[in-house]
Amino acid sequence: MIHPVDTMLALALLSILFSFGSSRLPSLIKVVGFQGIVVCIVPLFLGHGLSPESVVFSIAALCIRGILIPVCIYVAIRKAAITREVKPIVGFHASIFFGLILMVGATMASHRFDVAADHISRLFLPTAISLLGAGMFLLMARRNAIAMVLGYMVLENGIYLVGCAFSQRVSHITEFGILLDILAGVMIMAVILRNMKTTFNDLDTDRLRTLKE
Amino acid sequence: MLEMIFLVPFIIGITAFFLPRTINRLLLVLTGMVHLFLSVAIWVNSPAAFFPAFFAVSPEGTLSLLVISLLFFLISVYTLTYIKETPIPKEKIFIGFLLLFLSTMSMATLSDHIMVLWIAIEATTLASAPLIYTHHTVSALEATWKYVLICSVGIAMALLGSILLSVSLDAGKVNAAISFSGLVAVAQSLDPRWLKAGFVFILVGYGTKMGLAPMHTWLPDAHSEAPSPVSALLSGVLLNCAYLGIFKTSKIMHAAGLSDFSGPILIIFGLISIIGAATFILRQTEYKRMLAYSSIENMGIIAVGTGIGGFAAYGAIICLIHHSLIKSSLFLTSGNILLGSGTRLIEKVNGLANRAPKNFVAFFGGFIAISGFPPFGLFLGKVIILITALKAGHFIAAGIFIFSLCVIFAGLANSVMRMSFHPADPSLPKNIPEHIGLLWPQYTLLAASIILCFWMPASLQETLVQAASTIGGGF
Repeated sequence: MIHPVDTMLALALLSILFSFGSSRLPSLIKVVGFQGIVVCIVPLFLGHGLSPESVVFSIAALCIRGILIPVCIYVAIRKAAITREVKPIVGFHASIFFGLILMVGATMASHRFDVAADHISRLFLPTAISLLGAGMFLLMARRNAIAMVLGYMVLENGIYLVGCAFSQRVSHITEFGILLDILAGVMIMAVILRNMKTTFNDLDTDRLRTLKE
Repeated sequence: MLEMIFLVPFIIGITAFFLPRTINRLLLVLTGMVHLFLSVAIWVNSPAAFFPAFFAVSPEGTLSLLVISLLFFLISVYTLTYIKETPIPKEKIFIGFLLLFLSTMSMATLSDHIMVLWIAIEATTLASAPLIYTHHTVSALEATWKYVLICSVGIAMALLGSILLSVSLDAGKVNAAISFSGLVAVAQSLDPRWLKAGFVFILVGYGTKMGLAPMHTWLPDAHSEAPSPVSALLSGVLLNCAYLGIFKTSKIMHAAGLSDFSGPILIIFGLISIIGAATFILRQTEYKRMLAYSSIENMGIIAVGTGIGGFAAYGAIICLIHHSLIKSSLFLTSGNILLGSGTRLIEKVNGLANRAPKNFVAFFGGFIAISGFPPFGLFLGKVIILITALKAGHFIAAGIFIFSLCVIFAGLANSVMRMSFHPADPSLPKNIPEHIGLLWPQYTLLAASIILCFWMPASLQETLVQAASTIGGGF
């Protein structure tokens, strides 16, 4: 029988490919939001015993990663009618191809590690490493500032999964602190995005090249 | 209660968003005073934390806290006059975030839990980002964007590293708290592979925030675009907070007997930073950016000192303290020069010695100090690091170190001489107004550096040696 965690992680992997292929910002935001929800649900199925505390934390994390952050980015850009196309540095087809190579590479790399969560799903570490790589890729391969913020979110999702896969030692209080930091970070980025929009009438990071050396 | 030190500025910072301007200005200086008082109290009494799982007093944390307090108090006094001279838009927000920035930095110095340190350091980024964007210019926007994005992504790597550190506990089948003190205590039983991986990620992560090359790209932009009191805080104390993360992880590596792995990596990153700074300082056209590159150089020196370990670690901590004192003084004076001349370009600021003699003394004194000349304390730190490097047989590293320092001195001297003694254009005003409120903090900082070079209170010396001895330093 397929373990629910496998299904979740497969969905997370698929979301990477979707995010690499999205040429429109609203769909990219939705994909990353969906990925956030999936990643937050995974710990509930890890079989560590469902304490009320962990359920509350998972719901809080889900609300922040899956709903609050995407909505925050969406609202920040909606008011100023922005260009909805993502300008890629690496083309969309090439990006998807890179995504596939990334997943293969991540699977091969993950065989080298001995992971606590391996008995539940062998997809755990490949997904986490793929998310880390995907986040970095979006940060580097997209010119649009919003796509970069979303890349940062994908990276954080990956780190969260690494945390789930490897260690259960981190307490919920500190996890929540980390989550609040990420939320505040994205909110500040959203404010900068709005200011960028009003200053340049564009969110192309090519415009941010006055400061050199 | 230990936590008071960051809760007080946090609460006042939040209330400052809603209070009128005059009260806010008063609150800023008052908080600085109270914070200084609390820091000294912590240093003398080492009180217990209310949440001992998360916070604890450590020698290196106490030292950083003292530096933060002293600098913040002096900078808050400076800011009081500064905001009268040059209006700051949305002053409430500016002062509120200044206080939040102080709170997050204090929290970072006292964090013992690995994740809490991460939370505090990421929070320093968030609290300082609005300060960099104070003047709402296009270039400030760009600097803020780079700062937030590069540092957030960098620090995300440190989060990954922190998780890997906790994995080293699991893999080594040890049961201990995920705190720095806990990990040091059981360091020998930790799994070395995960520990090494964690160290590398933490070094890259916090190294980004500390301004180590090649992850430094945000630093010159942020330091040059921020208002001068903020630049002084960023350079003087924020970099120290990030360094604390690296220092504390090095402590674990040292206790685990892995300094042979962590040392060379630190030395390489340090040398790249020094060489990078030397390259860019030579062709710098703006004086605030020049000072920012000098910060990268000094962080490189500190990383090299920490990497060599032993007595050099003691030198690194001396460099850390004196760099904070001297660099913040230089940034404050550069703020005065910017106020008086209205330009950041080196070639347009001429004849400082005649036009603004008091600022000239502070600026030139700062230049002598940051170049590592006696009687300023940085001299001591650099000499200690160099001698230990030679004794330990790091001849190539020492050679690169000396050569880069000479190049940096030449670059700095060229620009500072031009600004100070080059005949001023007749069209420029003959005198730049000099306000005493914008001068005495710098003089105090430089004087502190001289005094600490010749005489250090025994208890401070003891704290310093304690901090250095944890990575094999001290006497």
